[in-house]
Amino acid sequence: MKKEFFQVEGLTKKFGGLTAVDHVSFAVHRDEVVGLIGPNGAGKSTLVKIIMGILKPDSGSIRFQGKEIRGKNPWDIVNMGIAGTFQNTRPFRRMPIIANVMVACLAPRGRRRGEWVKRVEAKAKDALEFAGISDLALEPAAHLSHGDLKRLEIARAIATEPELLILDEPFGGLNPVETELLAKSIRRLHRGGRFGRLHSEGMGMIIIEHKLSELMKIVDRVIVLHFGQIIATGTPQEIVENPAVIEAYLGKEGA
Amino acid sequence: MLANILVTTLVNAAAYAMLAVGFSLIFGVGRIINLAHTAYYMLAGFSIYTLVATAGCPAAPAVLLTIALITVIAVLCYKLLIDPMREHETTVLIITIALALVFQELMLKYFGGQFRSVPSLARGFFVILGVQVTRQHALTCMVLVLILGAVWLLLQKTRLGLAIRATAQDKEVANLMGMDVSRIAAITAAISAALAATAGALVAPLNILEPHMWLHPLTIILAIVVLGGLGSIKGSILGAVIIALSESLVIFLLPQGSFLKGAFSLLIMIIVLLIRPEGLFGVALEGER
Repeated sequence: MKKEFFQVEGLTKKFGGLTAVDHVSFAVHRDEVVGLIGPNGAGKSTLVKIIMGILKPDSGSIRFQGKEIRGKNPWDIVNMGIAGTFQNTRPFRRMPIIANVMVACLAPRGRRRGEWVKRVEAKAKDALEFAGISDLALEPAAHLSHGDLKRLEIARAIATEPELLILDEPFGGLNPVETELLAKSIRRLHRGGRFGRLHSEGMGMIIIEHKLSELMKIVDRVIVLHFGQIIATGTPQEIVENPAVIEAYLGKEGA
Repeated sequence: MLANILVTTLVNAAAYAMLAVGFSLIFGVGRIINLAHTAYYMLAGFSIYTLVATAGCPAAPAVLLTIALITVIAVLCYKLLIDPMREHETTVLIITIALALVFQELMLKYFGGQFRSVPSLARGFFVILGVQVTRQHALTCMVLVLILGAVWLLLQKTRLGLAIRATAQDKEVANLMGMDVSRIAAITAAISAALAATAGALVAPLNILEPHMWLHPLTIILAIVVLGGLGSIKGSILGAVIIALSESLVIFLLPQGSFLKGAFSLLIMIIVLLIRPEGLFGVALEGER
């Protein structure tokens, strides 16, 4: 059997009486962009937080490139090659943008021994260039607009040179033009290549998003979560036609 | 008179800044209010005393040995007592004050409560602007300023410094960017203790040594860091200058009221806090969620 790239099995997380994530199992291949959708409170963000090691699951396993990552610390997970952005952007507010990204470049994963700060800075600049906000490099993060903060989050995530990138609502609060720009960047990231000093062989991606029409354009496969359980998986086309999904989003017909 | 005030201010400010910067650093990175911070300063004083006055060790190696010794003690205390409790801020507060008292009692047991003085590490004096400055004062001041400069460079220009600053701003996000936050905190604890030990080793010979000597500087550096803004290095240095200046003004302008210098410093702190509750360079704790 081929070794799975990323695999979640029987993952469960309870908050008191509420089961936020209920025996979720799925796999992602390296050459895939997977969309994760579901109504509010379906457990999407909880799932991401578990994968990133912020929350500890009650049971189940998470395997990445053949290694169990459940129960590891966030920094270990980042250094194994998974990076995530979060729904609420959280920059280091009192640092310039460039320093924000440089911090991510310091992770042992992206770091080369004996590298000087100057080189780290150049690398961070490339990540900003890629995200399209290099002209703002010296602004303090507190001055950025919402859309630019989203870009900063992406720059920080790719600065760790991940192999699996998890984006939690990358389009949230962006206008249509910004959304389209970002969608393009995401496709480009997925294809991989060389972005200045950053190198990527193309990364697997999981994208959580509410703007379904935008999401459907960039993903290969969609997983639908409802009350913590997976109710459907399939291509974007299959998903929009799936009655169970329509019901989860809109309620039963006539109800 | 003016020159006198300036020189005294400079020496005291350098020593206070040294202590306050270390205190601020570990507060910023670990959110640890380390009340044992000046106890390391006291321990360093006794270590210098033992090495120089009792064992007859020359000054320079005695200072280096002291710094190494105190740093090791501090890191052990951090790893064994403080780190496991880091999430519980009140507990950390109680542990650190207990730690300080333990050190105080140990010193009382071995050295007794009498006042001692450490022989000067450098003898003689210069005259600057008509003021007699002992070599010891000048040396201390110079070394302290150099070390503060080095700390500044470390924070601003190196990868470790960037990691420390990032962790201080938001440790969860730093964690998510692949930063080993507890390692950074341990390194910061070591730097912080080394700064306190250096201050102790160099300043102890200027002052009287006794096991309760940690309490007064603790109050003063608390005033300084609160005045400058908790967690801000710039604030700590400026706060140290302000408090040292106010102390020397009281001593030189009101010689009969010099016992009031501490009260005066705290009064300045209260006035600043009334005007700017977050301190001069305060991190208003809005980012803390």
